[in-house]
Amino acid sequence: MNSPAITGIGSVSPFGVMSGPVPTRPIEPRAIAGWPTPGLRRAYLVNPFRPGDVIPGLKTRRLDRLSVWSLVAASLAVEDAGLDLARANRSRAAVVFATGLGCIELTEAYFRSASDNGWAGVDPILFPETLCSAPASHVARCLDLRGPNITASCKGMGGECALLQAASLLRNGQADFAVVMAGDTLTRGAYEWYEATCALSPACFDAAPPEGFDGLIPGEGVSAVVMESADHRRRRGARVYAAVRSGHFAARANVERAIRKALVERSPSEVALVSFATSRGALAEDAIRELFDRAVFAESSPVAAGLGDAGGLLRLLLALNGAPRGALAVLASSSSVGASAALLLELP
Amino acid sequence: MNEDPGTVVVTAIGVVSPYGLGLRPMADGLLAGHCCLGPLRGVSPGFEATAAEIGCLPPLEDLRDMRPSRTDQLAILAARDAAANSGLGGRALRDAAVVMATTVSGLTELDPALVRDPLAWYRAGGLARAGSYPFSHVAEAVGECLGAHGPRFAVNVACASGAVAIALGANLLLDRAVPVALVGGSDALCPFTLSGFHALQALDAAPCRPFDRNRGGLNLGEGAAVLALETLAAARNRGAPIFAVLRGWALTNDAFHPTAPHERGRGLAECMTLAMERAGVAPDDIGYVNAHGTGTPLNDVAETRAYEGAFGKRARPVPVSSTKSYMGHCLGAAGAIEAAIAISAIRAGALYPTLRLSEPVETSSVDWLTGQPRRQPLPLAMTVSAGFGGSNAALVFGEYSE
Repeated sequence: MNSPAITGIGSVSPFGVMSGPVPTRPIEPRAIAGWPTPGLRRAYLVNPFRPGDVIPGLKTRRLDRLSVWSLVAASLAVEDAGLDLARANRSRAAVVFATGLGCIELTEAYFRSASDNGWAGVDPILFPETLCSAPASHVARCLDLRGPNITASCKGMGGECALLQAASLLRNGQADFAVVMAGDTLTRGAYEWYEATCALSPACFDAAPPEGFDGLIPGEGVSAVVMESADHRRRRGARVYAAVRSGHFAARANVERAIRKALVERSPSEVALVSFATSRGALAEDAIRELFDRAVFAESSPVAAGLGDAGGLLRLLLALNGAPRGALAVLASSSSVGASAALLLELP
Repeated sequence: MNEDPGTVVVTAIGVVSPYGLGLRPMADGLLAGHCCLGPLRGVSPGFEATAAEIGCLPPLEDLRDMRPSRTDQLAILAARDAAANSGLGGRALRDAAVVMATTVSGLTELDPALVRDPLAWYRAGGLARAGSYPFSHVAEAVGECLGAHGPRFAVNVACASGAVAIALGANLLLDRAVPVALVGGSDALCPFTLSGFHALQALDAAPCRPFDRNRGGLNLGEGAAVLALETLAAARNRGAPIFAVLRGWALTNDAFHPTAPHERGRGLAECMTLAMERAGVAPDDIGYVNAHGTGTPLNDVAETRAYEGAFGKRARPVPVSSTKSYMGHCLGAAGAIEAAIAISAIRAGALYPTLRLSEPVETSSVDWLTGQPRRQPLPLAMTVSAGFGGSNAALVFGEYSE
């Protein structure tokens, strides 16, 4: 395996705060208590926790939850990778973060400050923390990672985009390893935007929704992986979860095209595991199932779907749990906004 | 010129700036020493400020359904300007990547009333306005208006964003993932950012004085720039106009402080050095640096120390200026606009001076450009960007010769 590889995993999600692949188990959305709602409103929420209990000494005062979770998930991923940062060349350590909405918790707090005091009286402490790039910056500062630091947003494909940007930095010799993250938080402003667009599932309003319901159950969380260049991980004998062989994403709904580009010269029949997410209906899914007639399809996760643009990385962490060894896997998505992505992964 | 498959060239430049639409008005304005900074009029944050505004934008009737934010509109105008002078079309354009930078994005469309009762605000007409809030929307807007359906994403790396977008677009070409990368940045003035910098006491009430000992802070501006990047081979194949060669690029982070730069400019110096190494050039080869040069007390000292670190061993001091003294700090667009300025400097053989720089920060490593534009051949120029959170980006552009 000469490709960049994932060697560490950490996550803060509705499944919990953990290292390593995320166990696939059904979880129920929880009732929202963080803001007033006109009736029952449910979502896939992260259970509150004390960051210092997970990462001793971690200082998170005045940070957006997205920054806090990024710090925790990134630290867990580094720990899981067995990466001794004290011995690493920090100048060649990248941070790549994908988010759909960024630090909306403190952005809303900033707007509240403007609403209460006028624009001339806003709270200066909040302003820098409203930047979407704040979580990646805090990870760089706290872990002393001094290489490229990128925050990206890709409609429907943020997680996949972050993985591919990190792989590109490693392949092109611009970093030795990267902490790759994708995540979002849920706030009242975001949740009610989904509600106003009538995108929410009946399960958001009813603890016993009708069978076969459709629609979105919004979620939140941050997933993180450590990705290393082949040389770097070989030098330190790192364990590999998956190598990123190739990938493609585009602003087209044609996911088959993305998959064929990602496969390069490999045949679909060589692929043993497929994690596929679509919000464009059964047609694309049927075609993909036909294409990979020998593969096992990972169960779709409404929790990852609830994360929207940032859900691809969580979906990967779910698919890696109990994944077959020595096989090829495909992570593919086709979003309702007319975008598609596919990554070809090699499982050790 | 050597047809190394990794050679990346700039084949189109589109700009919308306080000087107007296009690279030419901006380059002419810089050569004439025309400053666009003045009292803030178009945005009302409840305090006085000096800024560089663009004013009313031409209506984009064909894109009404997209509900573009002002940031989107600026990006679209710049992208269309780039497309018009690129000769791009057909499959290359259809498969092109779009990498756009922004920090403001659709914040221009939101107001504080949103947070009091979001659902009511959305139902009262805010829903469509809020649709442009996710910062990926800027890349979507550019991609849709040009019909570019390759990879599309936006980057937000604070004030280094525009230069980072260019670097990531170049990486896509190295990966052979796309035939063309449309890269750039766009940001509009809005009360949110004006009030933020005002609250941080980072704004100079008067026109800014980058690198001057009496500097009092920054002024904000607005604008957008979009560049088309291609490999040299692809550009030659289609007979494209070649504006410049992107010789090298690098990204680093200070990993030091949430808002302040490292006081010795550690990350920025390393970034410039890496960019020069990747370009295969020595510090003595760089003829001009378009600085980040915001005019804030902390930035300008740290940046000067960074020049000492990266260029200290040169035989002669490195010529540096900040063109933010003409049109303020355009935030996420700044790195892309300044890349366009550096390329125009190479093509015109003109080094633009910093305005109002009478008592420069003391250093023996920098030749501060003041007074009139300096006319000289300029084979290589560098742009430097930095931002909150410690991110740094450096780009090295070279002249193109057959």
